[in-house]
Amino acid sequence: MSEDILAELAQAVIDGEPEDAAELAQQALDQGLDPLVCINEGLTPGIDRVGELFATGEYFLPDLIIGGDAMKAALEVLEPALTGSQEREVLGRVVLGTVEGDLHEIGKTLVGTMLTANGFQVRDIGVDKSAADFVAAVKEMGATLVGASALLTTTMLHQQEVVEALKEAGLREQVKVMIGGAPVTQNWADQVGADGYSEDAISAVALAKQLISAD
Amino acid sequence: MPRIEPIHTKYHLDVLTVEQLGAIKSATSHVMEQVGVQFPSERALRVFAEHGAQVDWNTQVVKLSPGLVLEALSHAPRSYVLSGRAGGTNLVLDGNASYFGTDGCGTRTVDFDTGLERRSCKDDVARMARVADHLSSVAFYWPMVSAQDYGRLAPLHELDASFNNTVKHVQTETVMGEGPARYAVRMAEVIAGDKERMRARPPLSVLICTIAPLGQDPEGIEAGMVYAEAGIPVGFMAMPNMGATAPASPGGALVVGSAEVVSALVLMQLVAPGAPVFFSLLGSVMDPRTAEYIVSIPQKYLCNVAAVQLAHAWGVPVLAGAYGMDAAEPASWQVGRDHVYTALMVPMAGAEIVTGGGMLKASTLLVPEQIIYDDEIYHTHRILLQGLDTTPDGLALDVIEAVGPRGHYLAQEHTRQHLRRIWLPELTHPRPRWDGQSLPDIRRRARDEFDRILAEHEPEPLEDAVKAELRAILDAAARELGA
Repeated sequence: MSEDILAELAQAVIDGEPEDAAELAQQALDQGLDPLVCINEGLTPGIDRVGELFATGEYFLPDLIIGGDAMKAALEVLEPALTGSQEREVLGRVVLGTVEGDLHEIGKTLVGTMLTANGFQVRDIGVDKSAADFVAAVKEMGATLVGASALLTTTMLHQQEVVEALKEAGLREQVKVMIGGAPVTQNWADQVGADGYSEDAISAVALAKQLISAD
Repeated sequence: MPRIEPIHTKYHLDVLTVEQLGAIKSATSHVMEQVGVQFPSERALRVFAEHGAQVDWNTQVVKLSPGLVLEALSHAPRSYVLSGRAGGTNLVLDGNASYFGTDGCGTRTVDFDTGLERRSCKDDVARMARVADHLSSVAFYWPMVSAQDYGRLAPLHELDASFNNTVKHVQTETVMGEGPARYAVRMAEVIAGDKERMRARPPLSVLICTIAPLGQDPEGIEAGMVYAEAGIPVGFMAMPNMGATAPASPGGALVVGSAEVVSALVLMQLVAPGAPVFFSLLGSVMDPRTAEYIVSIPQKYLCNVAAVQLAHAWGVPVLAGAYGMDAAEPASWQVGRDHVYTALMVPMAGAEIVTGGGMLKASTLLVPEQIIYDDEIYHTHRILLQGLDTTPDGLALDVIEAVGPRGHYLAQEHTRQHLRRIWLPELTHPRPRWDGQSLPDIRRRARDEFDRILAEHEPEPLEDAVKAELRAILDAAARELGA
């Protein structure tokens, strides 16, 4: 029975059914299943499979995003049920956002989905976020990674502010900063003192893993 | 993937008005009646004489009255089916779909392994048939090059290599002469099962070239009569070269070419009333400086489309021309330009069958990966001609309302479903590589895809007994006709 519901949870993520995933998570809790087991043996294998299907070209970006949404919907049910000492195993905690004055959402959302699918815990703080917003989120979450997106040549200057603000808050040693967006280059990352730059959401995952392991 | 994805066009292109069409037809009738067409075949001349045509036995020129032409053509079916040897491979020639084939008749091949140009051989025909069998842009197969390693029997060996490596309909453009044609008919009977099934669902059709201006090839005409009697669909193709073998005006070229084709189709109907036949006319222009043959030129594109209208005006299906332009280099600006014009315009005009992809240098040179480029152009046109979906699902109002201003459509179920239905041009937009390696250039990618198909695609084989019968026919042909 418990194995069935874990398999169904995984399938809801693979199929990208957020409502089913949340409902199944609630059923699992009602049946007395350990929420951590539900996450590690239901949701994680599901999102892993989504990542595999994407890598082989069978899944497209919307499949990936909707799979991520299903996982998120189930986590919203399961995480509050974790007992004090329990913690979900994650590769790293990431604060992700688009910098101040910039309303571009899609690139950053894709990076968030890819990171989630690859075992990171992601807090997407949204678009048009000030350096102070990034700092506050890092503190609150205990993040070890920050992703700052900028799609305009006028707003990419704010990526530097994020790096500076983390430094001023004394958090720069604790977090690695990665930046991205159409006008951004490795040169720009070097210039503003970021730890890395990636061209697309796929290589952002490789970069995040590399930055985490370099720690 | 379906074996065949024909083009169904939502828009229609005519280059000739009804009046212009009438003028060309009337001029063609005038030429057939007053100038005549040469038929250097005793049998053909006898048939014409028996049916009241004016035959000059010395010059072998036949003059046909409009009444005789119309009466003969009234027996020609406007629509019929060309068959493959497996399910999902029929071509219904009724004007509602355009089916493309490969190009053919080449003599040179860019070697599959060395990349060096060489004489073509039977194995080239076999390999290309396997790739064509896989590509849904290819609905019928022309043996693409000459099996020059088989001497006089090359044309029959081209058929053998084709039937053994594709389930799709095969059209020969080389098995000419009464003797070889009889062997080709036997091969088709073996593929279909027997004579009657072959007649009902012919796995083979034939294209015969006329000789411009206003002449017929004796071997072609004699083969044509054998095929028509056997029930194998026969088409005639005129290739007027403006300035050399035709007047230097497209209108004149269309008149001369039409007279050649229509007079031959009349002969087929006199020999075998009701025989399935088709019309074909490809123009070109003589280079006024070198006398070379220019096929990549607007006058040719116009003639190709006009030929579709003319075929239909005479009441028969058409084999239209596309691809196979002058350029020698795949992945070049020139090939892109020329292949797009030709391959887009003729299906818009309603061509039933169209030749053909995969060759360069005016259809003389087989470049293996060219068929992959032409496949991508084909599917681009197939989608382009489907038109737009303005149903509620196509307009997606509910999705637009759900997303609202700002936000994005990536997480919508509608997006998920519709993105899957969108055909992706994989040659220009390949799957990304996740291993950090850079993608090879487009020519390498086309070649990699070609090599992948060749390595992985296994066409449904012929039964052993059928293979053996084909071999026996080839042996008998070798004994009778000489190798």
